[in-house]
Amino acid sequence: MALTDAEVARYARQLLLPGMGEAAQEALRDARIRVTGGGLSVAPATYYLAAAGVGTLWFDDPDEVKPEAGAGFALGPDDLGRPRGAALAGFARWASGLVTADLFRPGSRPTALLVCGSSPDVSRAIADEARLLQLPHVVADVDGQGGAVTSVPVGSPCYSCATRPGLGGAPTADGGATVGSLAALELILLLTGASQEPRARRIEVFRGTPLVRATARQPGCACAGPVAAGLAP
Amino acid sequence: MSARVPSARLDIRAHTCPVTWVKARIALSRIAEGEVLEVLLRDGEPRENVPRSAEEDGHRVIRLEPAPEEGEGTWRVWLARGAPVEERTWP
Ligand SMILES: [Zn+2]
Repeated sequence: MALTDAEVARYARQLLLPGMGEAAQEALRDARIRVTGGGLSVAPATYYLAAAGVGTLWFDDPDEVKPEAGAGFALGPDDLGRPRGAALAGFARWASGLVTADLFRPGSRPTALLVCGSSPDVSRAIADEARLLQLPHVVADVDGQGGAVTSVPVGSPCYSCATRPGLGGAPTADGGATVGSLAALELILLLTGASQEPRARRIEVFRGTPLVRATARQPGCACAGPVAAGLAP
Repeated sequence: MSARVPSARLDIRAHTCPVTWVKARIALSRIAEGEVLEVLLRDGEPRENVPRSAEEDGHRVIRLEPAPEEGEGTWRVWLARGAPVEERTWP
């Protein structure tokens, strides 16, 4: 369906960006993103995905909002004690009147995932689920020096293959904002097809300096199996 | 396929920059190379910017004239769609 006048007005400046256009904007509108994990990157990423015109955001995070949530601009005092997913859905609707934002429910059929785990182990479990479901996903990891964003198009080297140990350290709100906004952009580029090769890549941000590299499959990894070849059911 | 008769028409007199050019750009993407889009626009900023942006995007301005019969201050521009530009991408 063609963009409405309201959508053209809302996204006019974005529609003029390289690689963007009516088809790309429609692809964003048709996307249904399952946003998972309670890491510091989730709120900034949510803001950018909603503002960019992603049509549907489903939040998969049953934990309660705690004072140390570190997303003060997104979740306020009124949100304390609420399920984070519900609070983030409200934040997404605040960011854009055009987005459909709700809790992720069993049976919902997302077209992609954004993984914002609070630790690489949590992210790895969710990313593996996305791989088995053959859904493109982007993983945001925040650490004490910044963090990393891993883009995993369907069939490409998995998150585990792409990951190497970070420098560790307690995640910071600054790192969450940097990595979250970058993760949203990577997902937008995947959804619109506007990213250049290699699309399977990892961006590591160290104290504000990004380093981009193509990801490679590790020998023997399960991601080289039938799912990668598109043979699984 | 004649370049002399518009195959589509767009009225952007109610809009301001950048929506004016965005709507024209979308309309151009929906016609074939060589076909003509007729655009009604207001004098001033739209009359200056829309034809210039179209030429920067590889299209041709084949007509630009006042169209008072369409309403006071209205201009008409005919834009012939250029060859599709190679899709630009982000890094
Ligand atoms: Zn792997």
